[in-house]
Order: sequence, then structure tokens, then C-alpha cells
Amino acid sequence: MDRKLQIPRVPQDGPPKAGPAVSLADIGVGLAILAAVAVIAFNVHSNMLAAGIRPGFAFLTQQAGFDLSETLIPYGANDSYLRAILAGLANTVVVAAASLVIASLAGLLLGLLSVSASPAARFFALAYVELFRNLPKILVLLIIFVTAVNGLPAIRQALVLGPFTISNRAIYLPWLSQDPRNTLWLLASLFLVCALIWLWARHATRRQALTGRRMAVLPVALALCVAVPTVLAIALSAPLGLSWPALAGFSVEGGAALSIQFCTVAVALGLYHGAQIAEVLRGGIEAVPKGQIEAAAALGLKGGQTNRLVIMPQVLRTVVPPLNNQFANLLKNTSISIAVGYSDLMSVAGTAINQTFRPLETMLITMSIYLLLCLVLTGVLNHWSAGTRAREGRGER
Amino acid sequence: MSGVTQSIGSGRFSAWLLRQLSRPGASFLSLASGGLVLAILWTVADWLVLSAVPPLADPAACAEAAGACWPFWMEKSRFILFGTYPFDEQWRPMLVSLLLLGLSIATGQMAVSGRWPDMRLFAGLWLAGMAASFALMGGGILGLVTVDATRWNGLPILLILSTIALALALPVGVLLALARYQTRHRLLHRAAGAYVEIMRGVPMVTLLFVGVFVLPLTLPKGMAIDPIVAVPIALVFFHAAYFAEDVRSGLIALPVGQQEAASSLGLGFWQSARLVLLPQAIERAMPALVNSTIGAYKDTSLVVILGLHDLSATARMAFSDVAWGNQALEAYAFVGVWFLISCSYLSWIGRRLAARAAQGRNRSV
Repeated sequence: MDRKLQIPRVPQDGPPKAGPAVSLADIGVGLAILAAVAVIAFNVHSNMLAAGIRPGFAFLTQQAGFDLSETLIPYGANDSYLRAILAGLANTVVVAAASLVIASLAGLLLGLLSVSASPAARFFALAYVELFRNLPKILVLLIIFVTAVNGLPAIRQALVLGPFTISNRAIYLPWLSQDPRNTLWLLASLFLVCALIWLWARHATRRQALTGRRMAVLPVALALCVAVPTVLAIALSAPLGLSWPALAGFSVEGGAALSIQFCTVAVALGLYHGAQIAEVLRGGIEAVPKGQIEAAAALGLKGGQTNRLVIMPQVLRTVVPPLNNQFANLLKNTSISIAVGYSDLMSVAGTAINQTFRPLETMLITMSIYLLLCLVLTGVLNHWSAGTRAREGRGER
Repeated sequence: MSGVTQSIGSGRFSAWLLRQLSRPGASFLSLASGGLVLAILWTVADWLVLSAVPPLADPAACAEAAGACWPFWMEKSRFILFGTYPFDEQWRPMLVSLLLLGLSIATGQMAVSGRWPDMRLFAGLWLAGMAASFALMGGGILGLVTVDATRWNGLPILLILSTIALALALPVGVLLALARYQTRHRLLHRAAGAYVEIMRGVPMVTLLFVGVFVLPLTLPKGMAIDPIVAVPIALVFFHAAYFAEDVRSGLIALPVGQQEAASSLGLGFWQSARLVLLPQAIERAMPALVNSTIGAYKDTSLVVILGLHDLSATARMAFSDVAWGNQALEAYAFVGVWFLISCSYLSWIGRRLAARAAQGRNRSV
């Protein structure tokens, strides 16, 4: 009778259990990844040598030899591939920023329309959202592009609307005259105004937390917006003349040109993501329980106060994560501008691949840049929106 | 009697008027957006009907007309659908399109009704459908004329790329989700997580470039890969990451007790995943999965950038025909209508599934 009670071993394969530091499967996975990388590296190496190309990133310093239709940073065909990629990156960032502004405005307007009291406005918002949700973005871009190219006048019959000159090649607007001091003035003013306003706002918030007294933020910000550029203009002795676009033969001289490719990409992505942002906002606003609004009314809050103090914080809490996601998507989607010939990062990479036949190196660089851009954008957005997140209990910020 | 009705009627009207006057903002909004809707409808109707060239008119009239060119649609619809595929053989792409559409709609209806057949049979049908599509398009067997892949154009390309990529990406995505969900094998967990995050951080266009330009380099010397094969592979790698994230969110939403109950019943990891976790997780993730599917289907049209001729590329070829002036808007509108119809069907599935999920939650609470 000394037989022990046999208890069958229960298999412990449950995922949440923390197993040993390194399991057999892990070793297998690691070896498989290493083997795959080794095989791929060997194949790529031998294929590239067979084509007479030495793998490596040295080509970045070689002369690129192709021109870009528009660049923000100085770039010419004699510059290196690295500079071409940087020029493409700058174009990507600018077009993303422009379409982000358009998308936010369109999304905000349509989101508010879709919860408004007016049935016609709700119908309009619904139809807009449904239309853009059911069309591919590249089709939206192509439709807007062909409509703009066919519908706008040629450059010699360019439409002059106040300060703007509109043709199917570009939209021209008056801009600071070509002078390094002007550029410096513009960049320095922008940076200083933003930095000073941010510092002041932080200071005001801390003061309020310490003393309970609210300090003026808006008047100070406005004063800074006027004072800093004035002081800088005098200090730099910038001429600050405006250069006006004027028709000269087959082109427009002076001013700044926004190419039709840039405008259509910005508008197409703005409208496309505007629909998605509107949908996010509508969901967020509708998720606020009616009782909250009634309770605010019962407390005697006015309409504006209800919106600002009761509804907005709750809406922000639900919409900020998907909105951040939308902005990251928008940034990635600027890569479709290659389809209309806007020189963004992706189209520079495409040209570089065709010229150098180094797809691996070029794509590694391009994808890393996009990944980094996305990480930076979501990081910044998450940092900014940290205050809107649900704060459980009495935690401080 | 009639006096009474009238007073009620006018009372209603005056109440309505009072309400409108008491909130001028909303009334103004109604007027403005109503006007905008009417203006847009009028523009569309004017373009489509009033100033359009009727279908059987002389195509030459299209050059001057302000409206749509119906003869262009009559003449070019077939070209936009099937492109430069040999004209006499175009029953083959049509059959392929119908086959893939049929399989997709059958899958959609099963998802809506919630009744799935035996999974092995179902997967077998899909694989057979894919193989049949490639065989029919390419020819070279059963006495079919061989057709080069560069002449596979239009609708069948869109359907082949999207359905094949999605059908293969879903199982890969599920495996990735499980790899990231489990924490026992840490390297596997980390590797799956890194893969998913990297894929979700780069644009799809870059993946298409990798498929077309980098993938051939990674093959052993002497092996070549056609873009028509390389692009679906790249798409599977890309979409799988999105599907994985959807399924993982479903897995995370499951109560821990489910996993513990499965373990205490003596089920191993694979058994508990197959029998307990995944069915519930996928049901929860269904609306998100449908959303990803719609996005992926729409994004398939990006292959035009790589020179594969899907609908928007054949549309461009159609309006570039010099005999026809510039009917770009007509051509793209045709493609747009196709996407509106097909995506509306997918959205309808998504709404039905979301409604059912909400119902189920209410029942269980």
C-alpha cells in the first residue's frame, strides 16, 4: 500500500505564464531569423556582384544627376544622392503638414456638421464621409489632379485673383523677395515666437498652480507675435520687400509657386483624411452621455462653458488616440504623391533605384526615414495629448 | 372637423417656424448645407444627363460638350475592365473575375450569417480558386493560348491581387497575433511585435517597391520573379501586420479566465488557441478586420505606381487614346463607381457584424 497517489501532470502551456528565460522555440526562432538573414545577404551580395555593383552606402555621396521639379532646400542635379533624399524628405514633410492642416479643418467642420441639429447638414456630412471612405485615396488624387490640370487655365491665360495667380501648372502668391536676410528673419521669427509663447504658457500654468491667479496668455502671445518680428527685422536690417508674381512670356516670375502637384496632393489627402477625422470626431461626440449635458445645464453652465468644461474633455479622451493614428497614416500616405509626379521622398527613392540599381540600400534608407518620421510624429502627438488621457483617481499630471 | 384639423396643422407649422426662429444658427446651417447639397446634385445631374452627350451620339460631339461623354463609356468600358488582354480571349479574365467575386461574396455572406462551413473545405476552395485564376489568366494548359502577365489588366488584376493577398494575409496575421500574444517564448514575442510595428510604420508603397525591386535580388542566382507574383507576396507581408494587430486586440479583450479555464481543462497552447481563444477573439475583432479589409482592398489600387495595370491604370490608358480627346474624368468616374459599389458592400458587412457584436454584448450583460 505504499503506492503513491498518481497525479497526472497538468500541461502548463498557458501563454500568460512566464516560462524560462530562453525556451527551445526561442532558440529555433533566433536561428531561423539568422539563417534567413544570412541566405538573403549571401544572395543579395552575389546578385549585386554579378551585376557589377559593390553593395554599400558609398553611392550616397555620388552626384545624383537628376533634377527635382521643386525643392525646399537648395538642390541641383550636381548635388549628391544624399542631398536629393534630404530634398525629397523636406518635400514630404511640407506636403504632409499642408494636408494635415486641411484634413484637420475639413474633419472638424464635417464632424461638427454630422452632430448638428440640422438634418440637411447631417446628410451632407454623412454623404461626404461615405463617399471618401469608399474611394481609394489614389483615385481621389488622380481625379483631383486631372480635374485641376484640365479645368484650370494654361499659364498664358492664368487667372489673377487678388494676390494669387492661378494656372494649371502652379498657384503663385506674393512672397518675401529673394534675400538671405529675409529667409533668416522669417525662420528666426517663427522659431522665437513659438518658443517664447511656449515658455510663457508654461510659466503661466505653473504660476496658476502655485498661486491660483490666472495670468494673461493670449494678450502676451499676440504682443510677442508683433514685437519679436519687428525687433528682428530691425536687428537684421532685413529689406522685407514683397515680390509679386507677374506673367513673363511662358512663365510667371517672382513670388512663390505652389506647384499643381503639391496643391493636388495636399487637397486630396486633406479631403480623404478629413472624412476619417470627421468620423472619429462624430463617434467621440456621440459617445458623451446625454446626462452629462443635462447635468451641466442643471448646474447652470452656459452653452459655451458646457462645451469647454464638460463635453470637450470627454470627447478628447476618446478621440485623441485614433486621431494620432490618423495623422500618422496621413504622413505615410504622402508617399502616393509619386503617382502625380510630386518629388517627395518616395519618388526620389524611385528615381535613385532606377539610376543606381541599388534597391536594397535605397529602400532601407527610405523605410527607416518613414519609420522614424512616424515614430517622431506619434511620439510628439502622444506627448502633447498626454493631458487629455483618462486620469483615474486623484493622480496628478 | 376641417377647421380643427387646420388649426392643428397651422399650429404645427407655427411651432416649427417658432423653433426655427428661436435657433437661427441651426436654421442657417440647414439652409446653407441644403443649398450646398442641391448645388452638388445639380452639378452632377447636369454633367451626367443635361449637358452630356447621349450614348448613341457621334463621339466627335464629346470634344465640345461640357458634360459627360456617354459614347466613351459605351466604347471603353470593356477596355477599362480587361485592358490589353487579347480581345478574343477576354472571356477568361471575365470568368476569373466572376470566380473571385463569387468566392468573396460567399465569404462575406458567411461572415454576416455567422455560419461557416468546414474550414478545410473552405480553405481548399479558396486555394483552388486562386490556382484556377492563375491558370485561366496565364493559359498554356488545356489548349488555352498563353498570355503574358504584362497583358493581365484591369479588374482581374485588382481582384487577384486583393483577394489573394488578403486571403493569405489573414492566417499569417493570426499566427503573428498569437506569437505576440503569448509571453512564454520571449524572442518570438519580441520578434512578432517588432515586425508588426515596423510594418505599420512604413507606407505600403515602400513595401511594393521592396517586392518589385528588392525581392528579386534576394533570390538565388538565376531565379527570377514576375512582379505579378512579387507584389502579392509583398502585400501579404504588409497586410498581415494589420490583421495581426486587429486579432491581437480581440485576444487582449478576452477575459483571462478563458485562457485559465482552457489550461485547467488540460488543453495545450494550440488546442486552447484553436478551440477557445481564437473563435472568440476573431468574433470580437470582426468589425476591425472588415475595416482593415476595406482599407487593404482600396490600397490595392496603389499597384498602379509599380506599373501593374489595375483599373486606374487601364482607365488612364483608355483616356490617353488620342482618337478620343480627353475623357479623363469619365474614365476615373467609371473606376470610382466600381469602388463605391464594392466598398459599400464591404461596409455593409462591417455594419452588420458590428450590430451583431453589440447585440451579443447586450445579451451577455
